[in-house]
Amino acid sequence: MAKKSVTKALKDFWYGKPHTAAEGGRRLGDLHEDKTHLYKHREWRGVKDTMYYFYNIWLYNYIFMVKDIMVMHGPITFAKGLWRYRWVGQTYLPVLHWFDRGLEGMRGEAMRASAWHYRAMVSTTIRQFQRMFAADTRLHGGRQNELYKRTIAHNETVWGGVFYPWDGEIQNVPLEMIPYFVTCHVNSHTVLNYIDAVQSIGLPGDPCPMCQAESGIFVLDDVPDYAPAVITCNEACDASVSTSTLQDWFFDKPLFSLPMPMLFDDPLVKKYVMREIEELWKFVEDQYGIPFSWEKLTKKLELQNELQRFEWEKWEVAAKSDYYPINGVAQALYRIYQTQYGDWEIWHVTDKKVRKILEKCVSKKINSFPQTRHRVIAWSCAPLYYSNWCTWAYNCWGLNVIINMDSLMFDMEIRTDSYEHTLEDMAQYHMWAPMRRMAVGGMHHMFELWDYMKRFNCDMVAMYDQLQCKGVQGLHGLFEDEFRKRDIKAFWIPHALPDSRTVSRAEIRRLINDYMSTVMHEEPLDPSLLDFDDSMTW
Amino acid sequence: MNKICKFFLKVFAIVFVANAALFAVFFFDLDGKLLFNVVEPFLKKHYDDMDRKDTLKTPYNIDEFPKYDYHS
Repeated sequence: MAKKSVTKALKDFWYGKPHTAAEGGRRLGDLHEDKTHLYKHREWRGVKDTMYYFYNIWLYNYIFMVKDIMVMHGPITFAKGLWRYRWVGQTYLPVLHWFDRGLEGMRGEAMRASAWHYRAMVSTTIRQFQRMFAADTRLHGGRQNELYKRTIAHNETVWGGVFYPWDGEIQNVPLEMIPYFVTCHVNSHTVLNYIDAVQSIGLPGDPCPMCQAESGIFVLDDVPDYAPAVITCNEACDASVSTSTLQDWFFDKPLFSLPMPMLFDDPLVKKYVMREIEELWKFVEDQYGIPFSWEKLTKKLELQNELQRFEWEKWEVAAKSDYYPINGVAQALYRIYQTQYGDWEIWHVTDKKVRKILEKCVSKKINSFPQTRHRVIAWSCAPLYYSNWCTWAYNCWGLNVIINMDSLMFDMEIRTDSYEHTLEDMAQYHMWAPMRRMAVGGMHHMFELWDYMKRFNCDMVAMYDQLQCKGVQGLHGLFEDEFRKRDIKAFWIPHALPDSRTVSRAEIRRLINDYMSTVMHEEPLDPSLLDFDDSMTW
Repeated sequence: MNKICKFFLKVFAIVFVANAALFAVFFFDLDGKLLFNVVEPFLKKHYDDMDRKDTLKTPYNIDEFPKYDYHS
């Protein structure tokens, strides 16, 4: 008996404890402190994976974050920005705990490949806020330096690709991607300040909290002044139109509005968008005095197409085999970040590393998610404060999120063989912006779900329900009807995008637990993850 | 020779102790505990106490910029 337990202890030490309760499992829920969800101690994943996590993820990322800051405008610029802006100080210091939440329970190739995705997002985030701070007049005694004159601000749903013609001359930095969007994933507390700020000036609390937060950053005077001109966008929703109006008021700069048409499957509308993009280019030429470069545009688009082609290879593996080594949250965040921000060197470096891992998994038939019970497709907009719910769902129930709507939005290459073709495809890309095509883009695109479900060989749907999105709410009942008619297993995840106070993480878990036990009649793989209090966590 | 051995032993000892210390920080999540209990509350207090411009007093000079008319 004693010999048996010593052997098991040695085995657990060397390989890590097994996943399931039936095998005397690892009980991941017991690793955390109550409420704060800080680790009592980090997970022991076996010698090899723990050492990999320690050296190649935790230490490596701390070192490279410092290196990125040193190389990109230096530590003094960072310190000034940190002291001035809440969203950087409160959010980005605990970034390694964002890794922990997304990678919990991952082993082997899934842990490695997913972590590379996180690394790329961290580097791109540092690049953006360092550029904001280096150009910021507020941090330079009101002076407009050379970097300021070579930076353009834009709404985060304006695809970075429209600025490719000025690659190397003008740096585009989205207004909200770093102060708002990424913060919600890393530290969900920060954004609440901005939501409350906009309501404190008398605006109603029921529109989309994303639009509220994006305006609230301006109300709290927490936006760096880093560019002489700004491009706004309606983000394909009426609340965002109001955000743009407030931004125009508070930013008080030359502004170009690049609209996303509400009706878009129409050749005439496409022509209109093509002309809008051309007008945007003229606006940039006028404001910055730098001519449009067709060569630069096509060169960058070709690089972006390379990224798209690799994404399609990844999808093939995800759809047709069990050897896909990227978890649901890494897949979703990396893809939306990359497609929205546009081409950048770090994506290519990351894809090269991930390709190696992917090829290894395929050639050696490595199943990185061996406890998969259901292959899940996640549809509509995800809760930003709980984007890692799918890591929890796999660990607890064996729900493996194979693909999600955000990844599938820009399912296209952009032709570079002629000006007309390029412009046409760029207009299409712009019209397929986040929250556009498959969220408020009409029934045809919403219902592409059924095709993608088949294509990715999924047997279950995780259906997000953004409670404050008026566009998607109207389709709730239609989806219910279709799920019944098609006999599709589906569960709903209600949420209020960045605002964790409306539907808590615990409530989301409770809804999934209820579905899995009462409808599916399944037992959890790891019962310690069923119910825990993480109400104060980042 | 003895000196070289001692030097390498010293380097090895320093590297070993540094690794062990870092691993302790990692394994017991001391970085998280420090950030959650000390750094974040300190920074939050700093941001809460900061003087901020009343942005509502910004004039909305919508007509100050030229009309952007690029339609030909």
